[in-house]
Amino acid sequence: MNTLDPYTLFMIVLTVLLIVYMYLETRKRPTRTEYVTRELLVCEGCGFQVERDFEPGDFIGLVKGKCPRCGRELKIKGIYSVDKSKVLKAS
Amino acid sequence: MNGDTISLITQIIWLIIFILLITGLNTKIQMRIWAMDIRNKLNLIKRIIDEDRVRVEKMISNLGYQTPSVLVGRVLDFFTIEPVSIEPIDIIKRLDHMIRTSEATVRRFVESSLPNTGKFERSLVETSIEVLAGLNLIYKVIRHYLLTGEKENNWVLLMQLELLMPTIMRYVETYHMALDPFMSGKPVGDSVGPLVVYNLLEKSKVVSKRVIEDTSVFETWLEDRRVFFVKAEGPGSNVGHPGAVIRKLVEELKGNVDLIVTIDAALKLEGEETGSIAEGVGAAIGDPGPEKIAIERAAAEYGIPLRALIVKMDYREALTVMKKEIFEASRRAVDYVLKLIKEETKPNATVIVAGIGNTIGVPM
Repeated sequence: MNTLDPYTLFMIVLTVLLIVYMYLETRKRPTRTEYVTRELLVCEGCGFQVERDFEPGDFIGLVKGKCPRCGRELKIKGIYSVDKSKVLKAS
Repeated sequence: MNGDTISLITQIIWLIIFILLITGLNTKIQMRIWAMDIRNKLNLIKRIIDEDRVRVEKMISNLGYQTPSVLVGRVLDFFTIEPVSIEPIDIIKRLDHMIRTSEATVRRFVESSLPNTGKFERSLVETSIEVLAGLNLIYKVIRHYLLTGEKENNWVLLMQLELLMPTIMRYVETYHMALDPFMSGKPVGDSVGPLVVYNLLEKSKVVSKRVIEDTSVFETWLEDRRVFFVKAEGPGSNVGHPGAVIRKLVEELKGNVDLIVTIDAALKLEGEETGSIAEGVGAAIGDPGPEKIAIERAAAEYGIPLRALIVKMDYREALTVMKKEIFEASRRAVDYVLKLIKEETKPNATVIVAGIGNTIGVPM
């Protein structure tokens, strides 16, 4: 059996590397951030703020519960999406 | 492997390349690869549409309509023909008429199918079906060009389509994601204008409120000025007719207005930060024309300074649930508008502030 000459060996290695590179490139998927919808509740009296998960039917300005600090109404001031990983980290 | 074998293989490869080139077979192979890739993506779009259609039909049936597919099918293929543009006389009037007729017709379809449902839920149904119709239109147009390209062996058409597919897929994904806020009533990025006005209203002393053409008009006192706030009536999915209403308001006030400020979401350029605020001159409103021109005409006729404030975001952020950065920008925009009013007018002046955009999730 003849041994491979350096040029042929180089070409084979190059071809294999090219195929592996092309395979990895096609498998590459862009990373996607997952978002969750949160709502910001603010007490009109003492300014207490709390962030909670959005519930269907909620809208900005809706009065939702009482302030744990002063007992006045908590109002939804904002509904927004945040990076899910940040919420998990904070909780 | 000796030198002769390598030389033979190289010659065969060159021969194959030569035959492919002179017969044009290489282009045909390339065309097949492009068509295959486009078809795969088209199938993905179809799956998304089918999934979204089931979601929308379920939403409608939960509201009490037993045959949602009839309503969805009717609105899905609904179209509006643009007015003749080679004759520009009255084009705005004609365009406005077409838009209003289109809106009223879709609204009537939904209303007749869901007579016992509230205005808020009906507006969500209307917009959800419109989002679905947008997706369906993209699907049909792509399919048309793919089949035309294949039928006519038009490789240029297929190549253009293949190159455009990543952008088109991003639009499809955006529309798919937009269904969530429009089905559940969450504010979207485009709601930033109405949100700023809502927050300004909370700081003002409201004198009166009325609703004209689905648009709320509030007469208030703020920072010793008489301020009229204009926004689409919320919290349903609604953009209202702010241009027509501002024009009416200016005429009612006989042109005695010292400043008009419009606040809207604007598409950012790549590299710009989401939620950054910029001010300028003009009417910040992205309608097809009638609303914008109404504001411009009213301001120009009476010489009223027309100022604009924009909150920057990309296309996806404008149509999907409002991001926290945009919400925080809305708070900064409130202070910006107050600063603008104080700088541009004197106490007792009359000012019109309009929050432009879809007011979904934002009341009043």
